[in-house]
Amino acid sequence: MRTLPFLVIAALILVGGLFLPQFVGNPYYFFAGYVVLQYVVIATGWNILGGYAGYINFGTSAFFGAGVYVAAFLIKAFGAPLPVQILAAGVVGMLLGVATGYLTLRIQGVYFSIATVALVVVLETLIHNIDYLGGASGMQTIAPPAPAWFGGQTQYVFCAMLVLAVVAVVAARFIERSWIGRSLRAIKASEPAAEACGVPTLSMKLVACAISGAIIAIAGAPYAYYASHVDPLSAFSLTIGLNALAMPLIGGTRSWIGPVIGALLLASVQQIATVTISSEFNILAVGIVLIAFVVLAPEGILGLIADLKEKLRRRGARP
Amino acid sequence: MTISRRDFGKLAGGVSAGLATPAAWTSARAQNQPIRVGCTVSQTGALASTKNSLIGYELWRDDINAAGGLLGRKIELVVYDDQSAPAQVPSIYSKLIDVDKVDFLFSPYGANLTATMMPLAKQRDRLVVGILTLASNDRLRHDKFFQAAPWGPNGADDWARGFFDLAKAQGIKKIAIVAADTEFSKTAAAGGRRVSESMGMEVVGYDIYPPTLNDFSSILRNLRSRQPEAIFLCSYPPDSTAMVRGLSEIGVANSVRLFGGAMVGPQYASLLQSLGQNLNGIVNFHLYVPEPTLKFPGIEGFLQKYEVKAKEANVDPLGFYIPPFCYAAGQIISEGIKATGSTDQAVVSKWLHENPVSTIVGQIRFNDIGDWTERRVLMAQFQGVRGNDVNQFRQAGKQVVLDPPALKSGEFVPFRQARA
Repeated sequence: MRTLPFLVIAALILVGGLFLPQFVGNPYYFFAGYVVLQYVVIATGWNILGGYAGYINFGTSAFFGAGVYVAAFLIKAFGAPLPVQILAAGVVGMLLGVATGYLTLRIQGVYFSIATVALVVVLETLIHNIDYLGGASGMQTIAPPAPAWFGGQTQYVFCAMLVLAVVAVVAARFIERSWIGRSLRAIKASEPAAEACGVPTLSMKLVACAISGAIIAIAGAPYAYYASHVDPLSAFSLTIGLNALAMPLIGGTRSWIGPVIGALLLASVQQIATVTISSEFNILAVGIVLIAFVVLAPEGILGLIADLKEKLRRRGARP
Repeated sequence: MTISRRDFGKLAGGVSAGLATPAAWTSARAQNQPIRVGCTVSQTGALASTKNSLIGYELWRDDINAAGGLLGRKIELVVYDDQSAPAQVPSIYSKLIDVDKVDFLFSPYGANLTATMMPLAKQRDRLVVGILTLASNDRLRHDKFFQAAPWGPNGADDWARGFFDLAKAQGIKKIAIVAADTEFSKTAAAGGRRVSESMGMEVVGYDIYPPTLNDFSSILRNLRSRQPEAIFLCSYPPDSTAMVRGLSEIGVANSVRLFGGAMVGPQYASLLQSLGQNLNGIVNFHLYVPEPTLKFPGIEGFLQKYEVKAKEANVDPLGFYIPPFCYAAGQIISEGIKATGSTDQAVVSKWLHENPVSTIVGQIRFNDIGDWTERRVLMAQFQGVRGNDVNQFRQAGKQVVLDPPALKSGEFVPFRQARA
């Protein structure tokens, strides 16, 4: 897709979404929509490091949890408004990404992935021992009344998450098509070869870690107002890490649209399954779909579409 | 064309009847529709052991419906699995309120899950009955919240106070406090220290251990050296098990007369069965035990029905800890509706604040934030437990109530003597 139509579509989605509270009265759809959009942001953030650079991050929930607790701290200490919480979470996520990257990017492959798991344990233990943030039992983060335009707190955080999702996807597309994306793809293909070609691999990986960390952390910031309560178990949940990995793999990791497709698909199915079939199915579904894609379509839905196009092209070219 | 007064009257009557029909039909239809009560139950995840709460709700629904329903309307439960995840709770409760249009709500199990739905309940002005959730309404002060569990007023600090009242009555001067490094345990331990000191007891040890610890030998040896007269233990099921086994292998100082207090685990049949007679002498909190002083109307019939359902569902066969309070949660709603003849949230809430409610866990009075006006957490001592047969715990005399005094069913036996 060319840049101008992409930006027009992004702007239309954003404007349409911001007007949604004026037309949709039932708050439940905003609750469910918030969760789906939250995963669009998380999966997009994860894909910048995991998809473009090929560094699999199992510690997504550490960055998400950091965003949640930065927001909770700002609410308790200063009563900061949501935009300030989001900006602060982004800065902290970026710094955390750089710090983690600097400590762990010298190791590669599965060793890097294991090291990122440690980050979750470290941060969760830290929060458990900070009484000011509620320790293990968490703390209440009751939001002030939302701006009247939105018609309610849920609609407000939904719109905030929509803005974040559009910003994250636009940023991911920009990175993918810029020299940063090309460098990251070179690293993914062969790090020594990329180094030999003059790609500053460590710096580029640090940039990817910083951007990825910032995007995942901003996805956590509105959670405090969404749930009205934060606790370490939810903020550093394994489910977030699992979904962050599964969604880009299902959608396809090579392009910005892959995580978006994966997140929309999987998060919607999960939301529907939670209130229809059974939540046990919910967990099972992620596992089965993930295994199926790894075995049958390792390039995700995007790979399947590309294969299909290629087959059709060949069939059409046949005399 | 002219129209006579009589024809005009007929026409007006017909039009009025035509206009009123949909409203009357809707009203009649609403009267015939069931009263819907919604909640989540943790059927999967870390709190899945609490899923027997569903049996409590279902038995209440079945009893009410068998008796003809409420105001001529049946009770219908709308239940979802929250996966023990607080993040799932807000959207599910929004669905219950906005899509399923339930009339009344039960909270999820416990404080962490409940905290995420309380602001929504207050915002929509909904009547909620709290399920074993501690201090969930202290800050919000929602006037339509009612607690089903007997933590009492100031429950966050005082729920285990009965243990210290017992210690004082036994003339104990030196107490040691041991707690897991989790919020529930640490809060209980901190409250215990405050109460001990206010009662003039010396706290000779205050140990916080990591929740992953499974070898308590060093802690027990350390406790022996301090010679406490009472040990207040705030633990979770795995630590409770390890500590009780450690007691049998290493023992405690001869000075110890009172042991237990805030151990989570010995309320469940699985731990009662596995620990068996090793539990003798321990004084621990509980919410219901089958002692003669707790024969509230309906409780025995409830437990008999529960036993059958629990076997089918393969859950805790005793069901003393959570299910009776879930049944009572239903009774809080049904008694309010019966007494007022209304399903109006404000009318029922007002009545509940002003009148006592008779339930299978006793008569309840609520204060202004919906907590019980009196703490009724039991401190019960394991006495005369033999072997590992879980059915013995259905008999009186195995978990003797020592506190509160009004429900006392036996005498305290010093720890070492009870284990001899």
